[in-house]
Amino acid sequence: MYELKTLLPQFEIKLPTCMYDLKNVSLTGSPSTGAGISSSSSLIKKIQSLPQQQNASGKSYSSSSATCALDLDILGRQIQQLLKANNGKDTSAVVARQDKVLLQLEDLKAQLGKIRAGLGLCGKTIQHTTGYQNGGLKEVPLEDIVINGHPNFIPYALLALKNAWRDLYTIDIKTFTHSTMADIGPAAREFEQNLAKVPINESLPKINVTLIWKNCEHTEMISSPTMYVPIYGEVNIIRYLGRVGPAEYRYEGSPVCNEIDLVLDICYQLLRCTTHKSQVAMVRLLEKRLQKQQYFGGSQMSVADIGVYSSLIRMPAITDKDLTPALVAWRKRAKLVTKI
Amino acid sequence: MVEEKENVSANGEQVSKKGAKKAAKAAKKAEQKAESAAAASAGNDGEAGDNAVDHAQGRYGLSEMIQSKDKRSERVFVTVPELVNHVDKGLVWVRGRVHTSRAKGKQCFLILRQQSSTIQCILAVNDIISKQMVKFTGNIPKESIIDIQAKPVSVPNKIESCTEQTVELCVEQVFVISQAKPQLPLQIEDASRPENPDDAEGLNIRVNQDTRLDNRVLDLRTPANQAIFRLEAGVCRLFRDILTEKGFTEIHTPKIISAASEGGANVFTVSYFKDSAYLAQSPQLYKQMAIAADFDKVFTVGAVFRAEDSNTHRHLTEFVGLDLEMAFKYHYHEVLHTIGNTFTAIFKGLRDQYSREIEAVGQQYKVEPFKFLEPPLILQFAEGVAMLRGAGVETGDEEDLSTPNEKLLGRLVKAKYDTDFYILDKFPLAIRPFYTMPDPNNPIYSNSYDMFMRGEEILSGAQRIHDPEYLIERAKHHGIDTTKIAAYIESFRYGCPPHAGGGIGMERVVMLYLGLDNIRKTSMFPRDPKRLTP
Repeated sequence: MYELKTLLPQFEIKLPTCMYDLKNVSLTGSPSTGAGISSSSSLIKKIQSLPQQQNASGKSYSSSSATCALDLDILGRQIQQLLKANNGKDTSAVVARQDKVLLQLEDLKAQLGKIRAGLGLCGKTIQHTTGYQNGGLKEVPLEDIVINGHPNFIPYALLALKNAWRDLYTIDIKTFTHSTMADIGPAAREFEQNLAKVPINESLPKINVTLIWKNCEHTEMISSPTMYVPIYGEVNIIRYLGRVGPAEYRYEGSPVCNEIDLVLDICYQLLRCTTHKSQVAMVRLLEKRLQKQQYFGGSQMSVADIGVYSSLIRMPAITDKDLTPALVAWRKRAKLVTKI
Repeated sequence: MVEEKENVSANGEQVSKKGAKKAAKAAKKAEQKAESAAAASAGNDGEAGDNAVDHAQGRYGLSEMIQSKDKRSERVFVTVPELVNHVDKGLVWVRGRVHTSRAKGKQCFLILRQQSSTIQCILAVNDIISKQMVKFTGNIPKESIIDIQAKPVSVPNKIESCTEQTVELCVEQVFVISQAKPQLPLQIEDASRPENPDDAEGLNIRVNQDTRLDNRVLDLRTPANQAIFRLEAGVCRLFRDILTEKGFTEIHTPKIISAASEGGANVFTVSYFKDSAYLAQSPQLYKQMAIAADFDKVFTVGAVFRAEDSNTHRHLTEFVGLDLEMAFKYHYHEVLHTIGNTFTAIFKGLRDQYSREIEAVGQQYKVEPFKFLEPPLILQFAEGVAMLRGAGVETGDEEDLSTPNEKLLGRLVKAKYDTDFYILDKFPLAIRPFYTMPDPNNPIYSNSYDMFMRGEEILSGAQRIHDPEYLIERAKHHGIDTTKIAAYIESFRYGCPPHAGGGIGMERVVMLYLGLDNIRKTSMFPRDPKRLTP
């Protein structure tokens, strides 16, 4: 090897005094690895000393050739020789060093395990809740949400979602009656009982919902008391839950996203219809969307089906007579999932 | 008399002359008074300035003091609210107070008040009623109690100034039963005027709190006060009825005690023969002893004394405590839910049975109706702290809620859940008394709870430690001299079921239920550091 003249003027690097040398963790405390290092550094020294030897011994080289000290052939030979001499020793040193590193890693793992045990965390890997389920959204704990509903407009979608997500996601619903309601009526009470029947699986990701029967005009949802932006309408609550719920029901990235939104909008209109005639007209629109498909928006159950199904429950005037065979068949399929 | 004597001795004639003048004046006045009184009571012919024959003689006047001479059972009395059912059915008797009376020539309008109900009465000169009678009626001082015989008739136009708007009374006889002083320290009308800070045009005459309390007898006659104390009675009645139905037994605990019961802070000392004693600041020890004595579920209603020199809107030195204590099987939530449900039942009872009273109070003090959830909302203390932090308030995990934080949390809970009543469970152990049972799962917390109405704490309760050894350990941890509480610890030596409980102040609950701004409004004769009378 040869020395290169530095292009830049020579200068010393002054290390700041606030820095200090770190010991190399993987190499400390073992004589065998120390030997490994020293052997390799001795190798470098030998290589460095080569040009001088050559200069001293070689007579064929002119003084000008001294600047070009690298005779690749000789150098290659010399390196080969040196390597041959050190070969067996070096590989064994590397193997030993690797073993050492592995041992140290094991040690580290055991230590971490002890620390964790000391902190009282469970040995299982931590379950990712919403962050993981949110498809890479920033992991923030979900606010408990409050839904105000009138007993005359029961949000059946909650029960439908709870049943449909039984194995994917837990919606923990607590029901209360507000003082503005003297009596909630038998339908709402039955709804409460049905909600309570669905078992709560604590191991699944979960959202807490407080359902309050209240003398209010709209079904509304409140998540944060400081950022009071209520969400009105049952379908919009379905949309919200669809976003925070399991990945299977998240439709924003889906190609049928617009279709699902359209169906949910029709549900919204349907719920506002007061006459049987206008209700039937809305059902016709739904039929057009469904056509020959298994579910609204394709072959998979989606929040659109939840919306339509729970809206139809609120319309006792709409019987199977008002539905086409395709819708009746769909209703049966959906019933298997929603279980209402 | 004494004064006069002194004056005379001081400097002779001049003063005595003055005195004589004074005496003469007084005598004249008395004479006039006696004359007019005689004239009024007898209804004599020779009335001053009016020589006409009084054909209504005997139909009006001052009644002699009722000393239970006659039974007069022939007089059938009807209450004011019932008068609607007696329209055009002949004469009835009504007893009430003169709310206002106004004589105008040949007519007199009088508003008769009976508790919170008012009705208009009319007298007009005709062949039954004389001019003198109208004049007499117009001069009856306000707040006097009168008996009238009158004919209820329906009116074409609603009478806006009275509670009975469709009926009025045509009076035929008027007798004054008990006369009020003509000068009242406060006018009932002023005292019952709605508090309406936005209304700049309306009459702004108010009666301040101290004047009201100094003349509490008059002040209590306003419709709002009538309603407040009827509702307060309702709170007590519902508390008793609901708990009795749940299998509780009412007990009475001593109010004179030998040692401070709770911590030892702020007790009144009273002399007790040769020794001194204290006024009970909580019936807690006795409630617990009743539990140890196998009463299972007990409650008590009684006076509680706190020698706290705090002049705030929500502190009294004597108030009525509604306390309960209950043994449970395995989890103190059995008790928590019982207390919570009792509250909900009280609120529902008030809402359904006392709507008239609530409305009457609302007419004077504009407040939103009390809202609650059924079953009651229970939040964990940690959740409450998280909500506060979400609103940008820095508060520690083991820190007690400061009053502003307490109010803010109340507002947050109201905004989210729309309820004025909620329970905060699992308070930090560090801020609770030594007898509070620690949480078995987390050493920071304890099995204790607070309940809030409109963002103010009304009940503080906990599972109490029922194991004497553990109690001693906890007391030592708190640096309490165990010899002083030996009797308390002793009561658990003979076996005691696990139990929990809590207590509320009746006045505070009524104040917060109605949304009033001062606890003195809900205490009939309040006691605070500055008031011992009336």
